[in-house]
Amino acid sequence: MRLHFASALLSSCVALAVGCNGPSETAVSKPSAEGAKYRLSAEPGSPQGVKAARESAKDEEEVTLVGRIGGDENPWVEGQAVFTIVDSSLKACNEKDDDACPTPWDFCCDTDLLPSHKALVKVVGADGRPLAADARNLLGVKELQTVVVKGRAKRDDSGNLTVLADGVYVRN
Amino acid sequence: MFRVRLLPWDYGIRNLFRRPMRSALTLAALSTVVLLVLVVAAFIRGLEASLAVSGDPSVVLVYSINAAADIENSSIPARTGALLSASLEGIDERFGTKFISPELYIGTRIKSTADGPPLFGIVRGVTPAAPLLRRQVQLVEGQWPGAGEVLVGRLAPTKLGCDPSLLAVGQTVSFDGRDWRVSGVFAAGGASFESEIWAPLAEYQQALKRQDVSLVAVGLQPGASVSDVELFCKERVDLEIQAVGETAYYASLQAHYKPVRILGWLVVLLVAGAGIFAGLNTMYGAVLGRVRELSTLQAIGFRRRAIAVSLIQESMLLSAAASLLATAISVLLVNGAAVRFTMGAFSLRVDGVVILVGCGTGLLLGFAGAIPPAVKALRYSVLDGLKAV
Repeated sequence: MRLHFASALLSSCVALAVGCNGPSETAVSKPSAEGAKYRLSAEPGSPQGVKAARESAKDEEEVTLVGRIGGDENPWVEGQAVFTIVDSSLKACNEKDDDACPTPWDFCCDTDLLPSHKALVKVVGADGRPLAADARNLLGVKELQTVVVKGRAKRDDSGNLTVLADGVYVRN
Repeated sequence: MFRVRLLPWDYGIRNLFRRPMRSALTLAALSTVVLLVLVVAAFIRGLEASLAVSGDPSVVLVYSINAAADIENSSIPARTGALLSASLEGIDERFGTKFISPELYIGTRIKSTADGPPLFGIVRGVTPAAPLLRRQVQLVEGQWPGAGEVLVGRLAPTKLGCDPSLLAVGQTVSFDGRDWRVSGVFAAGGASFESEIWAPLAEYQQALKRQDVSLVAVGLQPGASVSDVELFCKERVDLEIQAVGETAYYASLQAHYKPVRILGWLVVLLVAGAGIFAGLNTMYGAVLGRVRELSTLQAIGFRRRAIAVSLIQESMLLSAAASLLATAISVLLVNGAAVRFTMGAFSLRVDGVVILVGCGTGLLLGFAGAIPPAVKALRYSVLDGLKAV
């Protein structure tokens, strides 16, 4: 009896100790059941940065982009699987010294660079329209995560880049 | 058999009139306290209502992504309205006119008289489409501004701190290097626009030598979503614009004023607390002067509980009368009074919540203010009380 009690107590302590360490820095939230088919298990090869893609990608071309989720105070669109990503060369505000910015993912320290370093990602279904679900819940992603998106580029006359993504890999 | 026999109801009323000066002074003090509470509560409610009424759930504001929530600092291309009109489905339309209103929102110095000092006010450059989206706006006098004319909000004189006659129809105001004739006056149900001056957009842009606008307001059809406008703004990175629902925009301003509202309610608590202490002081004096009377009542058979109830009754009659008096004064004199506040002006609002708070405070003063003196007075023994001077 005493042995059973001691084992249970020891097991609880171990479980608490493990649980209380908190999530690791590279922990990734789980996507929803629908979003799981859009989450890639392996990183697609040879992704290019957002800045390079804005310069070279052509309309309707298949592209693979790597970037960090952010670029706006709110990089998401409510009710749609859409978000903005920023070229990895930009540093988030909280990665600079003495910056306690509450929304570091808006990259407000580099607003003059954002137009040339930002792209929009739409996770689309078979009909080519964005899925009607918040990208955070769909894909299990959050701000400042580095993602690799695979899809089709859409360019407009003003040079804006949108990626109609059919797969997203989360690096961290 | 065990029911407490209470003192007659009219005994308490007669006691109030037996000492008319003391009763009148107590009534005046309680009325002042309740009136203060009503004024502060009306200020808070007016501020909240001004921001709540200003937002329309079907309107989306598109403005510069770099302006945060400060539309005055926003600058976006004038063609943004046309781009939105061409690119978005779900924009409301009436008789071929789309619900799109480009606007130039500027804080500037305004002179209401030739030799008067310039006063800080808000001028909004608008097109005739603006009232389609600002549905609260109603023309109450005059007409829509033509060339060289402006439309003045009913609270604009309060915002500017000038006499309303200086902004009447036909008067002339000067700002941004030009004179403008007042063509009409509009009301907006207490919304923030009511403290603004509206000028024709194209003319105002000329006066400022600008071609941009501060924002474009877009009216959506029922069923259309703000997220569609947000999506357009995020696609057009080159325009550097963002979209916010108008109600969300004013909700964020409400949050900005939350410390002011908290401070206001704190003042209400402090004033009510001061009123309780003042009431206690008055009631102590009144009750201690009646120790012999109260002891006589005990001697002839009334229980202490019944006497205490009578004292509370007197106090609450006074406080109820004070609450009614203060409420009447506030409804007649305070309700609708305009107050200048930061970027605009709003009207004090004495609504149901304010009256409930005011009257509740008054009755609480009456109840809480009577108990300690009554308890103290009834601690005397009957014999000591009868011998008291």
